[in-house]
Amino acid sequence: MNSIEALKELLYKMADDQLIIGHRNSEWTGIGPILEEDIAFSSMAQDKIGQSEHLYNLLHQLGESDADTLAFTRNADQFHNSQLTELPIGEYDFSLIRHFLFDFAEMLRFDGLRNSAYMPLAQLAKKFYGEIKYHTMHASTWVRQLGQGNEESKARMQSALNEAWNYALGIFEQGEGETVLQEEKIFEGEASLQEKWLNAITPILEEAGLSIPDKSTWEPKNGGRKGYHTDYLQPLLDEMSEVYSIDPTADW
Amino acid sequence: MAEENNEKIDSLDPRIMRASLDHSDIDPLESLDQFQTFEVFHQAKRGAQHQHVGIVHAPNPEMALLYAKEQYARRGVTANLWVVPSKYVFATSYFDDDMFDTTPEKIHRDPATYKVMDKIKEYKERQEA
Amino acid sequence: MYGNAYIDPNQTNKLTADEDPVKLAEFEARIQAGEKIEPADWMPKEYRKQLIRMIEQHAHSEIIGALPEGTWITRAPGFRRKLALMAKVQDEVGHAQLLYSAAETLGKSREDMINDLITGKSKYSNVFNYPALTWADSAVIAWLIDAGAIVNQLANSKGSYGPYCRALERICYEESFHLKYGHDNVVHLATGTKKQREMVQEALTRWWPPIMHFFGPSDKISVHSETLMKWKVKMASNDAMRQQFLDMYVPKIWDLGLTLPDPNLRKNPETKLWEYTEPDWEEFKRVINGDGPCNAERLAVRRMAEEKGRWVRRAILGENAEYVKPFA
Repeated sequence: MNSIEALKELLYKMADDQLIIGHRNSEWTGIGPILEEDIAFSSMAQDKIGQSEHLYNLLHQLGESDADTLAFTRNADQFHNSQLTELPIGEYDFSLIRHFLFDFAEMLRFDGLRNSAYMPLAQLAKKFYGEIKYHTMHASTWVRQLGQGNEESKARMQSALNEAWNYALGIFEQGEGETVLQEEKIFEGEASLQEKWLNAITPILEEAGLSIPDKSTWEPKNGGRKGYHTDYLQPLLDEMSEVYSIDPTADW
Repeated sequence: MAEENNEKIDSLDPRIMRASLDHSDIDPLESLDQFQTFEVFHQAKRGAQHQHVGIVHAPNPEMALLYAKEQYARRGVTANLWVVPSKYVFATSYFDDDMFDTTPEKIHRDPATYKVMDKIKEYKERQEA
Repeated sequence: MYGNAYIDPNQTNKLTADEDPVKLAEFEARIQAGEKIEPADWMPKEYRKQLIRMIEQHAHSEIIGALPEGTWITRAPGFRRKLALMAKVQDEVGHAQLLYSAAETLGKSREDMINDLITGKSKYSNVFNYPALTWADSAVIAWLIDAGAIVNQLANSKGSYGPYCRALERICYEESFHLKYGHDNVVHLATGTKKQREMVQEALTRWWPPIMHFFGPSDKISVHSETLMKWKVKMASNDAMRQQFLDMYVPKIWDLGLTLPDPNLRKNPETKLWEYTEPDWEEFKRVINGDGPCNAERLAVRRMAEEKGRWVRRAILGENAEYVKPFA
């Protein structure tokens, strides 16, 4: 795989992750658990979708279709998001745990990419780092509070964590282009990222009184990066493009 | 008001369809659901005064700050935010606002009322005469 | 997004019967002089009651108003629309927060207000009891309902109660984005493909009657309260606001070659007033009393949101939580 192909692989998985989780999180807008939280969660969903658009724009500069076409006309098997991002929103416990697990991985990914040899990506990473920092502040505050809240909230958060865990490991599924990206100093690689991620989230989960599932049970839900998805993604995409596909050539 | 029944709601909103709602009523919220109140102060730029912009309800200052950011700083520019529990704000009473009545008349504090140039001009004219 | 307070005609009698005449005179003189009333001030019981009712209805209208457009939040076509619609619906929730806060300064907690909403005890703008059938409906709502709301809110922002005025100023500023977004959206549909144009025309035809209802019953049949006008609780008559809205927006609609489903709609060149077929006020009453196409769904969704949020709120409440009325 040459470096352009490897770069596209990286950009696709990042952009697709952001779009799909942003779309899922946007489902809470207007029906969130507390007015103030509704507003905050919606802002973060908007940030994610905005970031995905910028990443698709980078792909467009590399010769791929424009952002709208990429987001609104591909089928599930052409998407490279991790399966974690496509799962339904569930109750707020699941949405928060997913937000926590995903956003810490994303923050660390962008943190490293600020020094990427691919300048356009480094610039985006610098630009969006502050947004993502807020997302992780929000996520860790919630996880701590609900973990330490009452019996019910603690049990709910633990069960959501158990449910999400193997999917979260799927974020770090390695791509074919990794070695090239590492050699070219574009991206540090998923293994390194996963290690940093574990180091970052473990103390917060401990403080929250939540336990990471036993390592013997870890089975990463891989496949998303290669276009294999759960049954939830295609209906999500059909819904997202319902209006757009009335006439994809129209100016909406 | 909808009659209480378990008939599913048929919505145009796919999010609502996924939630599979029915018409049944819920218990009223308890007053226990009420969070504390924080007054929010917003500073647009370093060097500017923090301005009171409104309130958020939150269980603690940490959450209040997270909420203040999105409710009062999701547009425009922001350098800093404060949140202060409303219960720690003490104010004068509007009933006593007559204590401020004569303040504008206290012109000895007003720089514009000090007009030395007239004196200097007059002095110079006198010297030249 | 809000039209006009629905004031129960049976409730506006004997507004000041048992008030202290001296305090009342001072209060009225202050309003007469264009000064604002602040939460800690003395105010007539009826002033407080009507303001709570009105601001609360307004807040409910924002939170319920997030639902018809929310219908399309997962389906907005293209990044630009997707982001803008999310931001707009989010703003409505933000407006509800600001308005509940303003009403809270008068002594009713947010939870009590939300309870009254979900048990059907208090009202919200009738217009949100209609469905957003297609994407074009969401465009028409964003443009014309928000336009109507701005007419009303600008008038109310000149009212007498400080916290409500401050909330409205912020809201009007944000709604100018909604109006631009909605107009841009409608213009794209109206100047787009045949299908897009059909969609927007159909949506406009569907929404016209609710839009005509938006400002409330005609002055001819609506009970005026001179006292509420004098106290600057109610700032303009329903018909005056409807006229202002028609004057500003009908020409813009016609400009796009779109038609409105009222053959009698025209501006009388002599009176300079718009003439129109009298809206069906019986239908208005029917819907406001619960029998509209979406009343049950709107309340059920709000109940769901509250119910799903209950365990979250409980868990983070903290032991020393002590509710305090907002300061201003």
